[in-house]
Amino acid sequence: MRVYVVDNGGQWTHREWRVLKYLGVDTKIVPNDSPMSDLQGLDGLVLSGGAPRVGIDPEKMGKNGEYLDAFDGPILGICAGHQFMATHLGGAAAPAKVPEFGKSVLKVHHPDVLFEGLPDRFEVWESHNDEVTVLPPDFTALASSPNCSVQAMRHRERPLFGLQFHPEVEHTQFGSDIFRNFLKVCENSTEHEVLGA
Amino acid sequence: MTFDAKAFIVEQVEAIPKQVPGKAIIACSGGVDSTTAAVLASRALGDRLLAVYVDTGLMRKHETEDVARTLKDLKVNHRILRAADEFFAALRGIVDPEKKRVIIGNKFVELFEREAKPFGADHLVQGTIAPDWIESGGQLRDRIKTHHNVAGLPPNMKVKLVEPLRDLYKDEVRAVARALGVRVAERQPFPGPGLAVRIVGEVTPDKAALVRDASAIVEEEIEAAAKDKRLALPWQYFAVLLPIQTVGVHGDLRVYGQTIAVRAVDSIDGMTAVYSKIPHEVLDRISTRITNEVPGINRVVYDASNKPPATIEWE
Repeated sequence: MRVYVVDNGGQWTHREWRVLKYLGVDTKIVPNDSPMSDLQGLDGLVLSGGAPRVGIDPEKMGKNGEYLDAFDGPILGICAGHQFMATHLGGAAAPAKVPEFGKSVLKVHHPDVLFEGLPDRFEVWESHNDEVTVLPPDFTALASSPNCSVQAMRHRERPLFGLQFHPEVEHTQFGSDIFRNFLKVCENSTEHEVLGA
Repeated sequence: MTFDAKAFIVEQVEAIPKQVPGKAIIACSGGVDSTTAAVLASRALGDRLLAVYVDTGLMRKHETEDVARTLKDLKVNHRILRAADEFFAALRGIVDPEKKRVIIGNKFVELFEREAKPFGADHLVQGTIAPDWIESGGQLRDRIKTHHNVAGLPPNMKVKLVEPLRDLYKDEVRAVARALGVRVAERQPFPGPGLAVRIVGEVTPDKAALVRDASAIVEEEIEAAAKDKRLALPWQYFAVLLPIQTVGVHGDLRVYGQTIAVRAVDSIDGMTAVYSKIPHEVLDRISTRITNEVPGINRVVYDASNKPPATIEWE
């Protein structure tokens, strides 16, 4: 299975690559301005977090928008990748009332394939100044933390997932399980050719 | 699948000679990363490699003797440079942590290039690991701190870099070190800029001596407690000298002394960390010993911050 990590300049982008590698995936970190043609034949895509403030400097998010429009396979957006997914698809992100750094507790409200086999409360690690304030149309919020209502979301039809917390770091509980569940979606996804490339 | 250290060693011992057609020097601090890189490069290059260790005056207690022994045991061709005066002179008056890191990185390369010339080396092997270049930033990635071996390199550097451990984290480097029989495989991490980033404020030989002595006490007490199973050995544990004076009373006399912060964290890869829950009686012993044995220190505080939001080192 081939799943690439789009690098939006995160401290933990390389950790996402490491987790995927440990799960036996053929993976690579690619710059976020890579042409769509570089993503041919992939089974899935991870949009990493990063220093760009999605609401303030969206241009630093490179071709993430193009990937969300044209890549038909499963996409997992993390932190800035998740916030950009929301803004690009008609929702909104803004500075969080209470930014979260470090340890927090996730509460899963809406069972979903991403959290399959996991408890409905567990410890997750955060590092964000902004958050999703308006869900895009056709998205469902899946989980929250005490200071952030959209910790996880997914599109109701397309395999698009967004996570505000960081499943790729060691201190997040069940992080690899979340990636493993995402890979199951990638495996089962029947149409993942690049559209319009 | 996890990380396969043996396969990694085979791969690198083949790859390094392709990158280094001639001779190379390796920057070796005696820590896990650079010692592992030195052994890998030594296997790949034999006597075309010279390991250079610099005593910056900012090392831990007995470090220089210890590193000399490690390199000798591993049969790595090496040289020990004593350059404490040069480092203290370059750091005089510098308070900004980023400036300290850049000055130290530049100074290291100056010394390495000085050694490379007579040896005839045109490559510099470094034990750079993933967090070093990640935290040093570049393009979209913000610079959290200048790692001396990445963002601290001078732009006009002549030797070419070879970094076999670039994609590894500390836990993976330790697996390689164990497979190579490196004695320091389990040693706690120590920053390249040494004690300079554990002295908040200007770096002087006196302050370096204070923080070195305090750190030795932290290490002794925590290692003794871990040996008796009173705690699990933290990932990293050390002392930081703070630029704050506070009031104390010593033998019925007022003192206005300095403060040591004790830092201990648990981590796997250095990219996230939680502060260690050190039992109070261990902290108590550390505090009593530091305030009694290290002249000028009359207060000890414990750092209860995770990463993020803090980093492991204070600077």
